[in-house]
Amino acid sequence: MKSAVQPYSRTDVEPGLTKIILFEIVFPMILLILGITMGLLQVLFRAGIIKSQSFLGINYYQGLTLHGAINAIVFTTFFAVAFGHAVIRFYTGKPLLLGAAWWSLILMTVGTIMAAIPMLTGSASVLYTFYPPLKAHPAFYIGLVLLVIGSWVAFFSWIPVFQKWKRENPGTKMPLAVLGVFATFIVWFIATIPVAIEIIVLLIPWSLGWTQTVNVPLARMLFWFFGHPLVYFWLLPAYVMYYTMLPKLTGGKLYSDFAGRFTFMWLIAFSAPIGIHHQYTEPGISTTWKFVHAFFTMLVAIPSLVTAFTLAASMEHGARKSGGTGLFGWWKKLPWLDTDRWMFAYLFCGLFIFIFGGITGIINASYSLDNVVHNTAWMPAHFHQTVAGPVFLAFIGGSLLLLSTLGGKEIALKRLNVWIPYLWTLGIMVFSTGLFIGGIAGEPRRTNMGLSYTNPASPLYQPSWNVARVAGTIGGVIMFLTMLLYFVIFFGTLLRKKTSEGVLELPVTEPYHDEDIVALQSLRPWLVSTVILLIVAYTMPFVELAKARYEGAPRYSPASPVALRK
Amino acid sequence: MTTTTIGIEKRIVITAALFVLTLTGVIAMSVKVFGFGLPTCLTDVRPFRDGKVITQAPKRYEIHYLARMWRFEPADISIPPGSTADIYLSTADVTHGMQIVGTNINLMAVPGAVNYARVKFDQAGEYLVVCNEYCGIEHHQMAARIHVTDRAAAPPPPPVVAAALGGQELLDKYACTACHSLDGSPMPGPTFKGLFGSKRTLADGTIAVADDAYLLESIEKPNAKTVKGFDPVMPETTIPPAEMRAIVQFIKTVK
Repeated sequence: MKSAVQPYSRTDVEPGLTKIILFEIVFPMILLILGITMGLLQVLFRAGIIKSQSFLGINYYQGLTLHGAINAIVFTTFFAVAFGHAVIRFYTGKPLLLGAAWWSLILMTVGTIMAAIPMLTGSASVLYTFYPPLKAHPAFYIGLVLLVIGSWVAFFSWIPVFQKWKRENPGTKMPLAVLGVFATFIVWFIATIPVAIEIIVLLIPWSLGWTQTVNVPLARMLFWFFGHPLVYFWLLPAYVMYYTMLPKLTGGKLYSDFAGRFTFMWLIAFSAPIGIHHQYTEPGISTTWKFVHAFFTMLVAIPSLVTAFTLAASMEHGARKSGGTGLFGWWKKLPWLDTDRWMFAYLFCGLFIFIFGGITGIINASYSLDNVVHNTAWMPAHFHQTVAGPVFLAFIGGSLLLLSTLGGKEIALKRLNVWIPYLWTLGIMVFSTGLFIGGIAGEPRRTNMGLSYTNPASPLYQPSWNVARVAGTIGGVIMFLTMLLYFVIFFGTLLRKKTSEGVLELPVTEPYHDEDIVALQSLRPWLVSTVILLIVAYTMPFVELAKARYEGAPRYSPASPVALRK
Repeated sequence: MTTTTIGIEKRIVITAALFVLTLTGVIAMSVKVFGFGLPTCLTDVRPFRDGKVITQAPKRYEIHYLARMWRFEPADISIPPGSTADIYLSTADVTHGMQIVGTNINLMAVPGAVNYARVKFDQAGEYLVVCNEYCGIEHHQMAARIHVTDRAAAPPPPPVVAAALGGQELLDKYACTACHSLDGSPMPGPTFKGLFGSKRTLADGTIAVADDAYLLESIEKPNAKTVKGFDPVMPETTIPPAEMRAIVQFIKTVK
């Protein structure tokens, strides 16, 4: 189906920046082949189809570490930086600071390779949450730090570019996409400070043997101070695409500019003071502060609810402009399988999955309800409906968009491409349904169940978990096959001959209601609120930890119950 | 097209806010009225190093669970239906999780701290206790059982497996291979390769032959004899005799 709407606007880009963005898209995509393969192995191990510690020389927990680190940390960080470069360049119309962009690329790439080597050789099988006192090779921690610093360099290099734009355009509102990218990286900056303290002050000296023990409750609180805003760092670039691309792709306008600005500002303020909702079942934190974090977590759901409404209204506006009528009849006018507006399917499917990811997120945050689902298979089900749903679809769609426009190449297998998000949605929904059911029944996450709970020869065999694991496996296989098709399209496009000069082409959405609310004109009051909220949410929990003086833990290898000497 | 009316947007934000405030109210009510709580910060209980069951009164128990790579101590508990148990959880090594499947008990075992929850077992049956936080390469084998039965004074039922599992599966089940290699590679404990029948130089300089009796003793009371160059760190085991013999038979085949 061909579209009548031409949704794309164009900007010429310096060849240096094109090279940087294309590298930051292609390099993590190559790693993603490994990450996705590890995902397939996880479901086969868990289902008991592979009944062993290792497959093809890769231990289950080593593969799990690779799956999480590549898919959720490396791929997402690289894409966020590449996308940020593109958005800032496109909307300010100003050349970026290429030197800084190169340094950012080099730091992130070196860091990734440094962390990948111990993971691949099996000396960092600590999962991407790297809870001490399980110890990884120091290169793993140092590599992660370099990856993060590289992303900071990119962020800082955009600020002077934007300030120049602002001086030249007094009285003009900050473009919504630019606000979204800044929100993404402000959240990321807030998140990465506590984890940098955890890694640099606690873990690196301890892993090198300079200090003998580590305070585990403190390390865990610092980790989750990072761990929750991390998910908004993943989600925000997808939100930028939803607000600034999706309405245009349907042929309409963004229903409310206010809703977009409110969402980004609110997420800056409330994404971080809520990390303790990951620690409900832990000792060392009083129930008072667990409840405060539960309350703040509920508040962070508000912008997502507002987003759901605004985007539905925007899509309806687009569909009605394209001739849609009736209470539900306008749905037929959305560009479901339009090969020119293929990004619509990637974004829409992500939003559909996020309905379930969002609801289960509210369930997880609901204080004592967490007792039922904490650390069970329910969690990866929720996780795949959020980071592997809206985030992942927006990021692989965005990667393909940047590759084809900046590379000046036609997308390979266009008609297949538009089906990818639907197949992925099917896979995610089947997979997650299985894991939700298994989680409620007590099936643990992150467990090589094929050797115990799903193995009829084991005394731990749990036949009542079988329905869940069958659904999980079928869904996982669908996801894997879908990604194989995606890789054929992505790398097929990459290897094609250039058919035009590479330019940056993005769908640009105009607002339908373009309100100017005083409270949303400047970031400053929101940044001040953010700091105040963080002080309120975390001062007393850290004081409680300091007062309790927990004895430290020595180093452990995941392979031995005997503490390591050095 | 621009407009200054923000009536609908305002209503949406207010509706969303009311929705989440209502949810928060429901949670607060579940805590205050129904007592569905979460673990809190305990600072008056020091981390312990032994698991045990203390009977405080009829149907009132205190269970001290020690989580360690890769088992819970105690591994098997029998208590009568209607019992209330105060569960304290500590760890001997890394971070673990403990879920009593079929109950609302789901606790993290964090090094340096003690966790606590209270549970009432109304229904008779066998409750599976699983470790649900990654704790190393044998994490999937870390589980225990609580038997809620009227014959509570009786010893726990014999393990289902007897020696139905082969020696190699038993090595996996009891996580022996976490410290003992099968191919001669160095690990925290002596390798099983070529072990049977070999002469062992002990820490005190004496020499022992690794025969059946030596191997059985080394499984049951691991630190009775320590091989030179190794630490006396292996925990005592409660492996049933049939399974111990199966393990020894298997070790004989590792050459």
